[in-house]
Amino acid sequence: MLQAHSLLWNSLWIGPNALLLLLGGVIWARGVWRKFPTFLVFAFVSGFGDLCVFYADIAPSVSPVSFWHIDWASLLFESALKFIVIGALFFNVIKPYKSISKLGQNLIRGSGAALLFLAALTAGLSRTDSPVRLISGAHLLEQTVFIVESGLVLFIFVFASFFHLRFDRLSFGVLLGFGVSACEHLAAWAILANAAPSAHGRTLLDFLNMATHLSCVLIWSYYWLTPEKRKTFPDRQKRPPTQPPSDPPSTFSGGNPKDHEEAVNDWNRELERLIHQ
Amino acid sequence: MTLAIILIISASLGLIFILVYSVSRSLQISRSSGIAGEIHPLDVEAFRNLVDPAELDYLRRSLRAAEFRAVQRERLRAMAAYIQVAARNAAVLIQIGNAALASGDRRTFEAARQLIDSALLLRRNALFALLRIYIAMAWPDSSFAAVPILSGYERLNGSAMLLGRLQHPAVPVRISAAR
Repeated sequence: MLQAHSLLWNSLWIGPNALLLLLGGVIWARGVWRKFPTFLVFAFVSGFGDLCVFYADIAPSVSPVSFWHIDWASLLFESALKFIVIGALFFNVIKPYKSISKLGQNLIRGSGAALLFLAALTAGLSRTDSPVRLISGAHLLEQTVFIVESGLVLFIFVFASFFHLRFDRLSFGVLLGFGVSACEHLAAWAILANAAPSAHGRTLLDFLNMATHLSCVLIWSYYWLTPEKRKTFPDRQKRPPTQPPSDPPSTFSGGNPKDHEEAVNDWNRELERLIHQ
Repeated sequence: MTLAIILIISASLGLIFILVYSVSRSLQISRSSGIAGEIHPLDVEAFRNLVDPAELDYLRRSLRAAEFRAVQRERLRAMAAYIQVAARNAAVLIQIGNAALASGDRRTFEAARQLIDSALLLRRNALFALLRIYIAMAWPDSSFAAVPILSGYERLNGSAMLLGRLQHPAVPVRISAAR
């Protein structure tokens, strides 16, 4: 069962990518892609690219060297698109918050540069796991991409967590999928590129990678295709709109909205005086 | 192999952080209505005295160098404590503001947006101020100004009260202690 090219292997390779293409098709047909156009491009390119790699893997007419060339091309395109999606997502998240958007932009650029340096250093320190440069290079590139990707996703989560920024539901779902995928793939590629596992160990790690990819596509599908639940505000609903405040302060004497407006203006004048004194 | 272990540990910690964040985010959404009680009123006047440059000059003139350094370190610790509370209050206000953004009322929406901007600015300034305070603790003789934090906190106070009044006229939101 857990063998390369078994039914499960083939299903886990084809399934998530077919699902990703289907997701792209559905969000295109529904017109919701406008919320996040870069993700649509990513869905089509990533799904199609991985299916091409699968075909190259099983087709007898494709030589091993050609297979690795196709793998490299797919990896480079997919990685570039991932970074574009993550960047667009971060700017989407910080755009409404004027007071920290400049700080956020500077920090993500700095983090990207630092992660790239760290990833290059890690690649330099890694030992090559194959005498064929084309193969070991692909493994190191995977490791490099996932170091940068997981670092950027973590940076966005830490930044949002520190400032208590509110993600819109879709951005959160897309980022969650990328985060889970990047962390798992980083761990897997770190073993593949540095620990020289046995052939069976490699196959198991491939299964883990493919299963994680399937989970991430399911996460994205959930956030793209299910409607957002309407939030309710219990404490606003508890008090009937006509009921007067239970313990009104002296400046808020009645239920008349004009009184409230004047009282708010009074408060504001007092606060302005406090600030400028 | 060591490199692989480091990367695996980092990836695992990253994954745990993402999952914890995701769970806490959904919990935060479900309890966003009652968080105003988590605000700790802050005595702005006491903080103003603490960051007053005239006080610092007076202490510098009247104390011996070693005494001044010891006193100044204590004052910096107190400043840090104030700023941490202010930053925590700002975090709560961001959540209150985020919840209020869903309101259909335009004035409440605008007040919420203003509150969030002021609170984010305060949280950012608090971060930088804390960094400066911890550096200043190593060199207490250096002059230090936390006045931008103070004015930011006062602006935040105004925004919080305005939003509080618009949403719940009966329940004032105070982030500064009553005098």
